Amino acid sequence: MTPLQRTLESARIVLCVGHGGVGKTTITAALATWAARHGRRTAVLTVDPAQRLKDTLGLGRGDGPRRVPLTLDGARGGRGARAGHLDAYLLDVKRTFDELIVALAAPEQARIILENRLYQNLSGSLAGTAEYMAVERVYRLADEGGYDLVVVDTPPARHAVDFLDAPRRLLALLESRVFSILKDPTTILPAAGSRLARLVLDAVLSGLERFTGIGLVREVGDFVRAIDTLSIALAARIRAVQATLAGPGTALVLVAAPEPRLVGETGVLVEALGRTGLRIGGIVVNRSLPRALFEQPADLSPPENLPSALVGRLRRGHADMRALAARQEAVLAPLVAKARAPVVGRVPLMAAGPGSLAELAAIGAHLFPEADEPVARARGLAQ
Amino acid sequence: MQKLEERPQAVNAICRRNTRVYAATRKLTLRRRHGYEPGVAARLSLGSQRLVIVTGKGGVGKTTVAAALARAASAAGRRTLAVEVGGGRLASLLGADTLGAEPVRIAPTLSAARIEPEDALADFVEGVLRFRLLSRRLLGSTSFQILAAAAPGLAELLVLNKVHAWLEARRLRRPLYDLIVLDAPASGHSLPLLSAPRTLGALARLGPIAELLRTLAGMLADASATLVLLVTTPEELAVRETIELHEELAGRERLPVGPPIVNAMPGRRFGPSDVEVLDGLGATAHDHPWLVAARFLVERRREAESQLGMLRQALGSGAVRLPFLWTPPDDPASLEPLAEGLASAAGLAA
Repeated sequence: MTPLQRTLESARIVLCVGHGGVGKTTITAALATWAARHGRRTAVLTVDPAQRLKDTLGLGRGDGPRRVPLTLDGARGGRGARAGHLDAYLLDVKRTFDELIVALAAPEQARIILENRLYQNLSGSLAGTAEYMAVERVYRLADEGGYDLVVVDTPPARHAVDFLDAPRRLLALLESRVFSILKDPTTILPAAGSRLARLVLDAVLSGLERFTGIGLVREVGDFVRAIDTLSIALAARIRAVQATLAGPGTALVLVAAPEPRLVGETGVLVEALGRTGLRIGGIVVNRSLPRALFEQPADLSPPENLPSALVGRLRRGHADMRALAARQEAVLAPLVAKARAPVVGRVPLMAAGPGSLAELAAIGAHLFPEADEPVARARGLAQ
Repeated sequence: MQKLEERPQAVNAICRRNTRVYAATRKLTLRRRHGYEPGVAARLSLGSQRLVIVTGKGGVGKTTVAAALARAASAAGRRTLAVEVGGGRLASLLGADTLGAEPVRIAPTLSAARIEPEDALADFVEGVLRFRLLSRRLLGSTSFQILAAAAPGLAELLVLNKVHAWLEARRLRRPLYDLIVLDAPASGHSLPLLSAPRTLGALARLGPIAELLRTLAGMLADASATLVLLVTTPEELAVRETIELHEELAGRERLPVGPPIVNAMPGRRFGPSDVEVLDGLGATAHDHPWLVAARFLVERRREAESQLGMLRQALGSGAVRLPFLWTPPDDPASLEPLAEGLASAAGLAA
């Protein structure tokens, strides 16, 4: 069994991170499909606002799970395997936030918060909230969803770091001065809490509201006061989520494509991940050219009986592909060194983009070599 | 022999010829095989345009296309300002050291700048409060999030506001820039940017902000001055996302969206008769590395053609195609083939 397979057999949460354009979504789907075929009750969640996984898995919009069929023509059937299944989820930030409030607050309190106009505006769009709610959703699926494994397609690049760092930042926000300022805005003025301070601030705020025409500035305070009654429960919850994310049951898989531009961006992501204290467990290299074909000498004797013009074109085509393969190897090595993680899978560049479950299975076949399964089955028979 | 990619003109000429010949020879076979008409290369109308907003799925070469377009326009004598939002690769592609909030001049007719939404917000709050100490205290990194949340779309609005100010900037009664090329965030994040005036408009109905919103919404919707370009690669997922984004922007937001820009279009290395010969070879010959490479190139071109057809069918317009570059562009010189492709599609004479 390969390290990647071991991870998918044992982890509770697998987070796929990578820069946009590396095929992260497809790899995520392939990993989840393999796990489900091998008996794990699996959920796959996409956080990407562009909802690409939806395309790959043939989903519509919405937050509810869709059962993804695993028996396909041409796919390797898990004969005699335990029954696993695959549910696909799309993140609905607002609904996740609502459910969290309802779970943590007393009914009356929950109603006040949910009806606050600012909350309604904010719950879907506050920078950082989307990322936190994604983590919350992952935690809930893993903890209460009845799944063995949750595979997550994280947002691309710098948003991936926001995502992984979300619990810490939200905690910092709850404990920050800004939060107490918003609760009682007069605390920023020298004579905090005095009537004069309040009068001055009221003047400033109403000036701001007149200028902007937006009555929301004042409502921030109302909202923060309401949510403050929850802050202890919320903080405890966030700590639990944070512990799960950093715990041994969570594996981080970096998806990289060996193209110079994408490698550069992925390197930036790796550095940012390092700062959050999360470790990369393994690297999946997507879109690599099959090395074996291009390691051979450039001056091969041409195939026989071909028109000379075609031979010239064939030679040039191969030379270009060969140069591309060499460049791929050259840019990939420093990235692997920087990530300090092993390459656990390689998927070749395919001429046709993956867009169906059958093609997903083809990618799975590259990630999880064919040889493994028959060998394992033969061993099972021998015992 | 000099390599093809070192001779951009030759590559371009081949691409153009290929496009013509291909359109003619493939028309029948494609119609038979896929049931569609292959797209004729589209024209990019930049007649009176003063603002071009470039967006697309992450990783399709959005910034590269924005940089190439800015170079093409500036080479044609238009005083051009290229703008990116947040940190990116625009500086190195244009050959500038670093970019900041103030435009830097790279060439006589080319300048570039970077907008950081956080900084734009700080400027805005200081301007409104006229009280440095208070605004400084309000603007920690976390409070930015709260302020941005208090008025959803505010950060995006401030980015557009900055662009608008540059459009209006004048020297000696004449606009400072003829054309602004905005390298907008990737699709998932460009929708908030482009719908900000509408989103905020629902909240603010009176006052100076409401007026600004109307101005900005007007700027975005003005088909005689603004053009939104969606960049894609000829790959299935990218094409589907482009079709979705096109529907949102051209349909729901009613913005002037131009023909799609298909980047990294693989060249046609083997003609129909080549393919016939290759298909006719015995099974043993197929392991030859040259033939493996050839099959890959043929297959990739075929897939790209079929994705172009999907795009054309869904959007009802042809695409501007830019060639796949074997060496990925990372500086102004390597950008040249793309700049030329855009210049010829837009009828920009150097």
